[in-house]
Amino acid sequence: MSKQAILRRALPGAGAALPRQSESAFILVWRDPLGRAGLCGVALIALMAICAPVIARYGVAEMHPKAKLTAPGLTFFFGSDNFGRDVFSRIVYGARVSLIVGIVSVGIAAGLGYLLGILAGFFEGKCESIIMMAMDIIFAFPSILLALFIVSALGPNIINTMIAIGIVNVPVFTRTVRASVKSVKSMDYIKNAISIGLTPRGVLLRHVTPNVLAPFTVQATLALSGAILTEASMSFLGLGIQPPQPSWGSMLSDARKYMEIAPWLVIFPALFIILTILSFNVLGDSLRDVLDPKLKL
Amino acid sequence: MRDYILRRLLMLIPILLGISVCVFTIMQLVPGNVVNGILGIEQTPELRAIWEKKLGLDQPPLIQYFRWMGNVLRGDFGESFRTGAQVFPEIISRFTITAELALLSCLTSLIIAIPLGIVSALKRNRPVDKVVRVAALMGVSMPSFASATLIILFLSKAFGYFTPVKYVSLIQNPGTNLEIMILPALILGTTMAGSVMRMTRSSILEVMRQDFIKAVRAKGAPERITIFRHALKNGCIPIITLVGMQMGGLLGGTVVIEQIFSIPGLGQYVLTGISQRDYPVVQGCVLFIAFIYVIINLFVDIIYTYVDPRIQYA
Amino acid sequence: MKRLFALFVCTVLLLSAAPTFALADGGILRVGTDAEPIGFDPHTISAVASARVMTQLYNQLVDVDGDLNVVPELAESWEQPDDTTYIFHLRGDVTFHNGRSMTAEDVKYSFERILDPNVGALGSSASYAGDIESIEIIDDLTVKFTLKQINAPFLASLSSWYCSIVAKEAVEENGDLLSADGGTGPFTLGEWIPDNMVSINKYDGYFIPDQPKVDGIEFYVMTDSSARLAALRTGSVDLIAADTSMLPLVAGDANINTLSYQSRNYAALCLNTTLPQFSDVRVRQAISLALNRQDIIDLAYNGEAEVSGFVPASLGHWAVDVTEHPLYQQDIEKAKALMSEAGYADGFEVTLIVGLLDSLRDIGAVAQQQLAEIGITVNVVNKENAEYVALWSAHDFEIMACQNGAGSDPSRGVAFFFKTGNSANIAGYSNARVDELCELGAGTTDVAQREEYYKEAIEIILDEEPNVVIASPREYFLSSAKLLGFEPSAAEPYSLATAYLAE
Repeated sequence: MSKQAILRRALPGAGAALPRQSESAFILVWRDPLGRAGLCGVALIALMAICAPVIARYGVAEMHPKAKLTAPGLTFFFGSDNFGRDVFSRIVYGARVSLIVGIVSVGIAAGLGYLLGILAGFFEGKCESIIMMAMDIIFAFPSILLALFIVSALGPNIINTMIAIGIVNVPVFTRTVRASVKSVKSMDYIKNAISIGLTPRGVLLRHVTPNVLAPFTVQATLALSGAILTEASMSFLGLGIQPPQPSWGSMLSDARKYMEIAPWLVIFPALFIILTILSFNVLGDSLRDVLDPKLKL
Repeated sequence: MRDYILRRLLMLIPILLGISVCVFTIMQLVPGNVVNGILGIEQTPELRAIWEKKLGLDQPPLIQYFRWMGNVLRGDFGESFRTGAQVFPEIISRFTITAELALLSCLTSLIIAIPLGIVSALKRNRPVDKVVRVAALMGVSMPSFASATLIILFLSKAFGYFTPVKYVSLIQNPGTNLEIMILPALILGTTMAGSVMRMTRSSILEVMRQDFIKAVRAKGAPERITIFRHALKNGCIPIITLVGMQMGGLLGGTVVIEQIFSIPGLGQYVLTGISQRDYPVVQGCVLFIAFIYVIINLFVDIIYTYVDPRIQYA
Repeated sequence: MKRLFALFVCTVLLLSAAPTFALADGGILRVGTDAEPIGFDPHTISAVASARVMTQLYNQLVDVDGDLNVVPELAESWEQPDDTTYIFHLRGDVTFHNGRSMTAEDVKYSFERILDPNVGALGSSASYAGDIESIEIIDDLTVKFTLKQINAPFLASLSSWYCSIVAKEAVEENGDLLSADGGTGPFTLGEWIPDNMVSINKYDGYFIPDQPKVDGIEFYVMTDSSARLAALRTGSVDLIAADTSMLPLVAGDANINTLSYQSRNYAALCLNTTLPQFSDVRVRQAISLALNRQDIIDLAYNGEAEVSGFVPASLGHWAVDVTEHPLYQQDIEKAKALMSEAGYADGFEVTLIVGLLDSLRDIGAVAQQQLAEIGITVNVVNKENAEYVALWSAHDFEIMACQNGAGSDPSRGVAFFFKTGNSANIAGYSNARVDELCELGAGTTDVAQREEYYKEAIEIILDEEPNVVIASPREYFLSSAKLLGFEPSAAEPYSLATAYLAE
């Protein structure tokens, strides 16, 4: 019998916890009406983003100079903007931009956060204090200012926007992972397992990761919506996604000038931003309820 | 306790040093410098050289950093490259404005969020809970610049109302000052209320299933007392933490709202500083904001000991 | 009773209507502006946001009127004994805001400050006062300038705020004039709440009688255009700088007046002629032919601009009408032919830098579409203000969308932007004949002769298209119906000394 197998026997359930829990989590979330609504909303947006080229009727930058500011109708489902561009197509492609911004920036934040959190949690002492100090420094900046800072240093474009929003979100993830690593490390059974030869990698993969996954998922859904909002605010300040790429935030910010004569320019991006943020938040809430054992009543 | 506070304050030194290096480096990396902005279309190589010399930008970055840092240590944050005005007094005057706005916003969010959070926790999973949760989330979901524009447009069209245009401080004229601040605070407050409400809800839920609450109930205490004196008091630590964090975030995060409502706060100062490459302004502001943020965190930790005497710092 | 009531109503109506006819002086004029001023030193500040305040505080020796004639301001009259000597006779009734009379000493001091290399004044370049060799005080009210060489536009360039006359004591007390006031203008500097407002107060000792009409002006910083419009509609401010997108919103509003003027600015796509593809004049011409300027105007300016060359129609007799120019008519076929002649039949990819103004960003978006038709793939990159200016001054770009001011003399509109090696010649354009014509134009004071030189230069440049010029925008103000006597023009966009508020 291999060492691994012994360990697996010695710690019943520890290794298998992950798949079962996430499976049941999905069902549990689905059972919660709010959670179901959130899931549906997220699925809808994702579908829109994936199928954008099929759904969109015009190119995002395609202009119809003779048909500017047309009200919603059959030619332009959601009307046209001040360049005569189809708002519907821009919204559909905007879903892509907004989701990519959200996912990539949260990915950056979660990836870096995971790495730093593990480092800080495993190697106590100098390494930990340096990492946590760095996190405190990042955390001490108001997030929008830090993002603006980074974007002005790197230049405003979609990649730098994602990097900036990603960096802003690193500390939250780092803290979550570090706390989890520390609590797992201090558990008696892990101490025992380490004493009979469980490698740090084993601890990491089998015990830390599953434990972190729950708070991580919750954090990620919330950070996603935060990222989309931060991008919108940056667009307002002129440092977000650059035209002609349509992000909902920049569409909304550009449309404010035309709010009175062409309300559809504001309504549709706003609607989709609200729908997305709401879906992610509701989903995150529901996940938290399901995954956080302390809240189970 | 005193040792603890002292230790925390000592921690400030490496953090602020780290921040000063970071912000200085980033500002050096940002393309363009203040001279481009000063000269605009009139720039010639000769004029650029004069101005770079005048502002000390012709020196190597390392010397610029130590010169600036040396002055900061002596309490001199320098002068703005563009307006020539002293940076520190300007930071202080703008800080008081932004701090007032941040406080009012936090207050608004607490007023909205705590009752909703309690209701939502007590009626867990009932329709009321769901409505409240979705409603609270709606506030978070709208970018604040969009809601601000909508509100301004609505008030001006429907009631012919616009907030007073000239800024006056709370001391000069409390009434007008509050009138200026109330709309921005409401907008910022509602965007914060969502997370505060969620935190309230989950903390109360967590406390309510602890044994001592059962004991209190068993003792026959009225529900109101159970909730307010016991559940809320014990559940408020995470709420305080969250509000403290948001408060810190607001110190520069109000920039969008400040811009729309023409409030001369810290956020606008930093933003203009960044866009004009006004190094002393940006560096000074960032150091100051970081300092205040750490102090707020310290305060939050100290408040813990009052709320929950079990927490002791040594 | 009813009749009495009717009479009462009539009286009230009459009374309330009557004051609109009485032209009452006084009151505070409140202006909603779009940007925060930086400081108020007329010698070192180029920002437009500051200029609208500074121009109320300071005067220059001369002014340029709407027809581009040089007219007296602080100098009552002047004479030119020879081509490089100017003698100014100053007004005797001018006082600084501290009450002291202005003399020739002050004129000398002001120009010495401008030319002082430690000040770094913007007027020290050759386009302004840079050619001054010596300044001599003849008597209290007479001052003589000697130039190093003939400089035809010298007199007109003295009307710039960079050449304002300032009081020595104000500079010495404060080190500079960034937040101080050492002027002779109709208003004195009042309160400055950064990022919120600047106020200026009426100066009672102003040398033009009956000016200013109002007791003071408050400039509010409202960067958000929808907030600005809301403030005007609710009567919180009396005058705002307007976006063209606002115009349809106030079209039927009896309480709001629309004021406008044709600016001397123009938008252009500057092509970096040092790059291989743009060193070929055929490619530059093809780009000009590929553009549909009217569509750009409709989309980027909501129609509120005129097709224009780089010397716009507002420059009067200097202007060259381009509306019939062959390169200004969209002709895709011809453009494509030129592209293949130049060896770019399949087009190429290029980066277009935009920034600073919304209209430039919008032009970038439209040009991207239009240039795609002749196979040019344009990547539009928006740069943040400071970086945009840095790239501008380093001439580091492939195509850059710019808005330039043509000034009031072709030495600005032509030589400044197109003479070889000039800092504003960002296209890197070089044509020996144009250089020669610019020298000739600056070297003579004969107007007819100059017109001939410059027109020839303009025609050459128009054919060679280093800057593909698109349009000259109209600038708009919206004011409450109460505000009268305010007549903005390209020469003086903020001529507020004559404005008054009717009750």
